[in-house]
Amino acid sequence: MSHHSLRILIADDSDTDRLILQALVKRLGHEVIEATDGLDAVQKFREDNPDIVLLDALMPRMDGMEAARHIKALAGERLVPVIFLTSLSDAEDLARCLEAGGDDFLTKPYSRVIIEAKIKAFDRMRRMHDTLSRQHEQISERNRQLLEEQTVARRVFDNVAHTGCLDSPNIRYHASPLSVFNGDVLFASPRPAGGMLIFLGDFTGHGLPAAIGAMPVAEIFYGMVRKGFSSADVLREINQKLKLILPTGMFCCGAMVEVDFKAGQLRVWNGGLPEAWVIRSDGDLVLLPSRHLPLGILPPEQFESVAETVQVSPGDRLLVMTDGVLEVANEQGALFGLAGVRRCLEQLQPPRHPFDAVMAAVRQFSDKAAETDDLTLVSLDITDQPAVPEVSEQVLPSALAGPTEWRCEYEIRERTLGDFSPLPLLLHICLEVPGLRTRGGEIYTLLSELYNNALEHGILQLPSEWKRSAEGFGRYYSERQARLARVDGHFIRFRLHHTRKPGGGRLRVVCEDSGAGFDFQNHPLASGEAGADSSSRYAGRGLLLLKRLSKNITFRGKGNHVEIVYDWNFSAHQGDGDDRQTTP
Amino acid sequence: MTGRQHLDEEALAELQDVMEDEFDVLIHTYIVDSRDRIASLKAALAAVEADTFARTAHSLKGSSINIGAPRLGELCLEAEEAGKAPDLGEASRLVGAIEHEFATVSGLLERLLVR
Amino acid sequence: MPIQTSLAEDDKTLVIRIEGRFDFSTHQAFRDSYEHAGPRVTNYIVDLSDTTYLDSSALGMLLLLRDHAGGDSARISIENCNSDVRRILSISNFEQLFAIK
Repeated sequence: MSHHSLRILIADDSDTDRLILQALVKRLGHEVIEATDGLDAVQKFREDNPDIVLLDALMPRMDGMEAARHIKALAGERLVPVIFLTSLSDAEDLARCLEAGGDDFLTKPYSRVIIEAKIKAFDRMRRMHDTLSRQHEQISERNRQLLEEQTVARRVFDNVAHTGCLDSPNIRYHASPLSVFNGDVLFASPRPAGGMLIFLGDFTGHGLPAAIGAMPVAEIFYGMVRKGFSSADVLREINQKLKLILPTGMFCCGAMVEVDFKAGQLRVWNGGLPEAWVIRSDGDLVLLPSRHLPLGILPPEQFESVAETVQVSPGDRLLVMTDGVLEVANEQGALFGLAGVRRCLEQLQPPRHPFDAVMAAVRQFSDKAAETDDLTLVSLDITDQPAVPEVSEQVLPSALAGPTEWRCEYEIRERTLGDFSPLPLLLHICLEVPGLRTRGGEIYTLLSELYNNALEHGILQLPSEWKRSAEGFGRYYSERQARLARVDGHFIRFRLHHTRKPGGGRLRVVCEDSGAGFDFQNHPLASGEAGADSSSRYAGRGLLLLKRLSKNITFRGKGNHVEIVYDWNFSAHQGDGDDRQTTP
Repeated sequence: MTGRQHLDEEALAELQDVMEDEFDVLIHTYIVDSRDRIASLKAALAAVEADTFARTAHSLKGSSINIGAPRLGELCLEAEEAGKAPDLGEASRLVGAIEHEFATVSGLLERLLVR
Repeated sequence: MPIQTSLAEDDKTLVIRIEGRFDFSTHQAFRDSYEHAGPRVTNYIVDLSDTTYLDSSALGMLLLLRDHAGGDSARISIENCNSDVRRILSISNFEQLFAIK
């Protein structure tokens, strides 16, 4: 049986009683501090910090009860048992003692057995209280650490994710200002050949587990979009990555929006997020519900990247949100829900912006900030866009590091024509040249126009005028799918050659395809005449673009062999084209 | 329990055991203390201070109970209640009884010391 | 008890009932309900007649069950959903992975 030696304060104005008690307590192995009245007791308590206090109730100068109040106040968070010494007859006084803060009482005559038992019991209580206090402090400290870790995770994440082009004038968004990561991600990036890609994701869980999943997704998104990959490719890669790294049962609900300003189109993939909305300039609403499983669940071979296509024109708007919006609850416990969103959008009066309307409606529904802040809502305004926006390059290229004298040939044949786009790879090769790194947009556009013409017009022989209407578009793409199944014996071959020139360099791109070709000698644009005849095989705009971006363009053979020369200089930002119009 | 004893032998024996060599000091302290208290009782009575009377009786009661003098303790309780009432007539009668009882108790205690 | 299990008469089907909220707090109990069911169990029925609420961690738990039950070859049906629960399952397109009745 362990014995703890305690320091015990005994306060009694009767010398006799005090003598007896201090002898009893010392016999039990404890240290005794003596006081002769209330004031003395409080003073001794302050100086000597006893573990337990024995107080006579009636004392001169300050009676026991007042002394008890002072002592309890001085003890603060610490539990210091206060035991009153009293005669059995004072029943009412006993009650008052306990009300004054006393924990128990000892009656006269003092019994050694009882004193021992009470001291032991209160010592146990005191130590238990101490342990609890210490554990409480440990928990508080641990909590503080966890919060700090999560804040750091958030900062790391923000560095990886950055805002991309979220600060474009036609994008508005509300993301949770909570410093602790809440599982929602929002990325936006322009595409090298124009347009942009927006991804909104909602990871299961909160805090670090959600943040860990989000970081590779940010890298994949920004890395791939910059290189010109399509939204389907990016989705597939994200799904595969998440399937690999997330434990079973964790996933990411998400929506990917590919914005094609040129064609006036949105391609939306929604896997697990609430409905996205297109609000037309005339007030019509188009619903884009979730049609896919969230990301990170299906293995690559079962993943479907099929998106819904919506024609849009300037003045139309898109709204995408996480379920935080629908789950805002009011005081009665009712949820804002899809009905709330629909009501808000149906009652929308121009020129009110749907983003403002939904945010206001949500805040009106619930005035609790905790509810209305933990959500993500993003809107996109469809506008007219310039042809080739530059993809901003944050790394300053060194003119001397990287290959400048090289050539390569890359050919894809038959089945690969439908399954794989060589553009990101070819772009990557070109961007190894330091001088070309700030010109990724133009290079990509060149390669992409050559490739698309070779594939869609050369080999598949799809007329471009089909793309000009909404129904035609659908027909175009389904025919494209069908014809891609019948490309036996076909190929597209790229030959790239780069060399240094005084003050810069020259990239030569040759693109050949196995298609029927076209009569380039009599094509108004190909033969150098002005004016575009849009019924011809090459969409007028495409050829014009190639002419504008390159130094010169040559057609050979049946018209299925195109050579492009692209010159660049150290000083200027653009390459040298013949008909250069200044584009910022 | 009727007829309280002058001294509780058992309680005293325990006290002796607990106090060891300090037993003598204790008895001596008690006797001196109590004489002071009885003098205070008389003074309070003379000055018609009922509160002081009650409190002094209360203190003497406590130490008498502790020392093992139950009858004396009982008398002090009655005196305390008389002081609280206040019933000065009763208080006066009890002071006499207390003095008388104390004489007996202190005599018995001193004999313990000699031994 | 928020989670109750029973074996159907055919001895091969485990029925798991969830009462009240199906959320993160039911995580351990849900796992326990099927992990010790024994090798004879080949089919599962998740009965949500008394389930009032389902969140994303519940979806995760269903995925864990599916993984335990053989992944693509698992035979799990989710039954008696109220309209709120059904909507949550349908937004996530879980009918592509589970039979929902």
